[in-house]
Amino acid sequence: MKELRTVLALVAREKKDIWFSIVFGVLAGLTTVGLFGASGYLISKAALAPPLYTLIIVIAMVKLFGFTRALGRYVERLFSHRATFTILSHIRTRFFEMLEPEVPHIFRKYRSGDLLARVIGDVESLQNFFLRVYYPPIVLVIVFLSTMIFTTFFSWMLALLFFLGLVIVGVVIPFIATLKQRKSQYSVREGRGILSTKLAEWLYGFRDLKIYQKQEETEADLRKSMETYEAAHERQQLQMAGGEGWNLLASLTATWAVVLVSVWQIGAGELDGIFLAMFIMISLMVFEDAGPMANVPRHLEDNRNAAERLFSLPGQTGRHSGDVSLEPFGPLSFSMENVTYSFPESLTPVLQDATISFPAGSKTAIVGASGSGKSTIQQLLLSMDVPEAGRIKVQDKDMQRVSQESVWKEVNTILQESHFFYGTVRDNLLLADEDADDRRMKEVLERVKLPHLSPEHPVEEKGGNLSGGEKQRLALARIYLKPARTWILDEPFSSVDVLTERELMQDFWETAVHDTVILISHNLKGLEQMDNIVVVEQGQVIEKGSYEELMEWKGYFYRMKQLENTLIG
Amino acid sequence: MKEWNLLLKKEWKKVSVIVLAALLLAVSIIGQGYLFVTIVDRVFVEGGGLSAVLVPLTLLLGVLWIRTGVSTAIARTGVRLASRAKRMMRERLLHKISGASVGESGQVEAGRRVSVFMDAVEETDSYFSGYVPQVIQSLIVPLFLFVTIAVIHLNSAFIILATSPFIPLFYIIIGMKTKEKSEEKVEEMNELSGKFLDILQGLTTLKLFRKAKAQKETIETSSLRFRDATMEVLKTAFVSSLMLELISMLSIGLIALEIALQLIIFENMNFFTAFFILILAPEFYNYLKQLGFAFHTGRTSMGAASKVFEEINKPEDGMQWGEKELSLSCPPHIVLRDATHRYGEDGFYTGPVSVDLTPGKNLAIAGRTGSGKSTLLHLISGLMPVKEGTIEVEEEDLHEYREDEWMNHVSYISQDPYIFSGTLKENIIIGAGGRSSPEEVETALRKAGLYELTQRLEDGMNTPLGEGGRGLSGGEKQRLALARAFLKDPYIVLLDEPTTGLDLETERILSESLTELSQHATMITVAHRLHTIREADEILFLEDGRVAGQGTHEELFGTVDEYRRMTTASQGVEVQ
Repeated sequence: MKELRTVLALVAREKKDIWFSIVFGVLAGLTTVGLFGASGYLISKAALAPPLYTLIIVIAMVKLFGFTRALGRYVERLFSHRATFTILSHIRTRFFEMLEPEVPHIFRKYRSGDLLARVIGDVESLQNFFLRVYYPPIVLVIVFLSTMIFTTFFSWMLALLFFLGLVIVGVVIPFIATLKQRKSQYSVREGRGILSTKLAEWLYGFRDLKIYQKQEETEADLRKSMETYEAAHERQQLQMAGGEGWNLLASLTATWAVVLVSVWQIGAGELDGIFLAMFIMISLMVFEDAGPMANVPRHLEDNRNAAERLFSLPGQTGRHSGDVSLEPFGPLSFSMENVTYSFPESLTPVLQDATISFPAGSKTAIVGASGSGKSTIQQLLLSMDVPEAGRIKVQDKDMQRVSQESVWKEVNTILQESHFFYGTVRDNLLLADEDADDRRMKEVLERVKLPHLSPEHPVEEKGGNLSGGEKQRLALARIYLKPARTWILDEPFSSVDVLTERELMQDFWETAVHDTVILISHNLKGLEQMDNIVVVEQGQVIEKGSYEELMEWKGYFYRMKQLENTLIG
Repeated sequence: MKEWNLLLKKEWKKVSVIVLAALLLAVSIIGQGYLFVTIVDRVFVEGGGLSAVLVPLTLLLGVLWIRTGVSTAIARTGVRLASRAKRMMRERLLHKISGASVGESGQVEAGRRVSVFMDAVEETDSYFSGYVPQVIQSLIVPLFLFVTIAVIHLNSAFIILATSPFIPLFYIIIGMKTKEKSEEKVEEMNELSGKFLDILQGLTTLKLFRKAKAQKETIETSSLRFRDATMEVLKTAFVSSLMLELISMLSIGLIALEIALQLIIFENMNFFTAFFILILAPEFYNYLKQLGFAFHTGRTSMGAASKVFEEINKPEDGMQWGEKELSLSCPPHIVLRDATHRYGEDGFYTGPVSVDLTPGKNLAIAGRTGSGKSTLLHLISGLMPVKEGTIEVEEEDLHEYREDEWMNHVSYISQDPYIFSGTLKENIIIGAGGRSSPEEVETALRKAGLYELTQRLEDGMNTPLGEGGRGLSGGEKQRLALARAFLKDPYIVLLDEPTTGLDLETERILSESLTELSQHATMITVAHRLHTIREADEILFLEDGRVAGQGTHEELFGTVDEYRRMTTASQGVEVQ
């Protein structure tokens, strides 16, 4: 239960809705039992030809029960579902609170796509917790106990029978079902994951598989995974149906036993025969709601796993922000001394023994092939992660002691992939400056050559309706709205056509003339005016110097430049 | 759903099991009621003891067990039916996908297909496991109950006849009223439910703008708005079940009133009949109500199913292959005659292309991004169908050959080869169909410049590579593609040259490797490097899918303006 503690605490915050769900659930349950019990009694009473007024009273009661039951059910559903979705909201915010301090370095550890898909799935599956696991058993037990107390006025034996029935239906059978389920090692959830991964792999590698004539083999393998998954899913569903079947069997047998005992007690003169029909009806009804109990442990298990995965995720990186603040406003200086960094799963270090200094107001370009370690330098300078070895300083202060917020405040950055939020252009620009009005937004959009985008222009999820070039320019517009004098830009114009790139570059250099600029670049165009060019290759800084120096040395940079000149199309 | 009905026909055995079980269920419900009533009647009215009801008691136990048995059988058959249906749909989807041509396997497309295959198919589950069995039961059981009630007391049957149409009628009215509303809400709900993921995905950006902490509130508001929107939709569903409950209760009340009058005022009905009807009537309305709920689930899964079948029934765009063998001892002679590809009915055209690929020829394809270069490469490699014109290999139409006979001679070196989850070694020997000696693998690794890397790795060639090949840089991936090609030793090499510069070492290896591979293979290259096109025997210059120029570099440079611009202007460097 440890895993669910967080969830339970969040559930407990909805006390009012929980109370209403339980009270009305019990009301509906009791009136159902009452309704059928009363009608059983009514019919027996009628057989004795009683005075009409007693019958009228009982009929009125039956009607009342009926209405109360229907209404009770309605209100119960309303409150329990409301509670469920409110709890879901608490789970989301709680998870967010826990995750937030771990970002972005947690995304360096896990692939964020997989991670987030998993998170969403787990959060969704927890919506079952209140609705199926938490309150229905409480309602069931209260209804049962009330029925038992009522029954004791007539017969101890029958009350005992109800109790026995409850134990079997509510405890014994669910327990056996759980044991049975535990035995099957193959988890349907995992099977689903495997199948989905294999399918995606098959689709992504389709061309290569065709060429290597592995496509049929892989397809066969995929079919096998599908078969395994379908079989396991079917088995699970059958088990669930079986569990409910066993519960039904126990319920009906218990009702039968109620009949048997009642008949016997009537024969012995311990019970009035007029109540026989009533107890049959009561028994049939009280056990009816117990059917779903068979699968409560299964849901509990699912929820427990989901909660464990979810809430154990944050807190693994142990990265804490420092608390030293930077002097406000002004171009920052950075230095890296013998910095080494590697991913947990990468084959070789991403960055090895790198020493670079970025004086305030200097212009530095970091160049190299894809995967050479350029982006890692950016992430480290942004205090998004800590190096394995070596020291990074900002304004001559140890980066780890400086608060991340104060670095981010002073730096305008464009990451390799900019995220845009669902909404409008305005929503996305407001991130950078809450007070920006439409006039300013239009100005800045004009400036980044996006005059066709108005602030009202809709932005789809992840900027899906924008082209790569538009996204890059919108990202630039966004940082133009934020006042900062240090710029760390990762290939800001790689998807923009040559002519526009030249204009944007020129405009940028005019803006940043006295600022610290760190430009990460794949291509080697327009680096002539940089103070310093750092060439990174396989995680190592292999050349440093101005454009003229590097060209004069005729080393790596020179040869890269030669190569680039021969690229076409 | 035509396809589903066909499926139900095919699975008629399972359907008949459900029908049979439903019949038994109806009988056992009636029998159960009859026996309960008999027992109460004998004990309460006639004052009999245990011995008087021993037989009905024993029978009752049997009937109750039978009822359990058939209910479970129906549920289990439903599960099996659903499972069969899902398998069928997934099989057909797989078949569809595997027959499709390469052009449709983009990232977005792949994601969509995974979602149809996994989620949409799963959503159809409740149609077979819930809806179909429920409809069968709700058609059979109430009918039996109705007939029984009519036989024992006609008046009750009349009341049922008069009231029960209100239930489906009511469902239709509510359904119509809520449909519009819920469709309107669904859009809002989708938007709100996506918000959480959107924020998590953009959390890095938010942090950099120091707006992350404020998002807690956004998450909360959007979650609560989601709740409210959902509750609106649910409320109507709950109200409708409340109304149904009330209708059925009123109906039962009417029946009870009539019985009470008969029983007490007119005294022309006995206890047995009265009780029996009172037990059967609620069961009748219960099954009718459940039918309503079933329709609700049925509709959702039908929406999912139409998505699945839309995918299955998309027009075929796959390759057709023949039965001929292709044994070669040198590169084959390939001739393209007005070969053309077209996406869909009137989509993007590539071609017509006519070119004579004599054995060992070195063909370069050049052009701007989106001019159809890759499509042409796919066309020649037999990965995409030729819509018009022909491709002849050794004087036979390419599609007369068996697929594997042709593919055995082809290597496709792309800048982003797919890395399967498996070891480095497994990822390389896939190039040779898995049949290669350790020496051959080592040679291929050496030629591709990967040998040193494997030496540096702790697990060497057995280092696992994850999905998507994480842990490999762009250059290493390129070398892996080369190693695959060396191992295969093909007669036809298709090369999609990297658009940007690789690290210099990989560039050197790439160019050396190609020289070696081209010694006994026909090379067809989508060129991004000047020296590649200058060394080509023939160049196809594409513009918007059409051949805008064909010939050697010198010929094109002199005659095609756009070609000249592209080969000179990009870096502002004079190359001629």
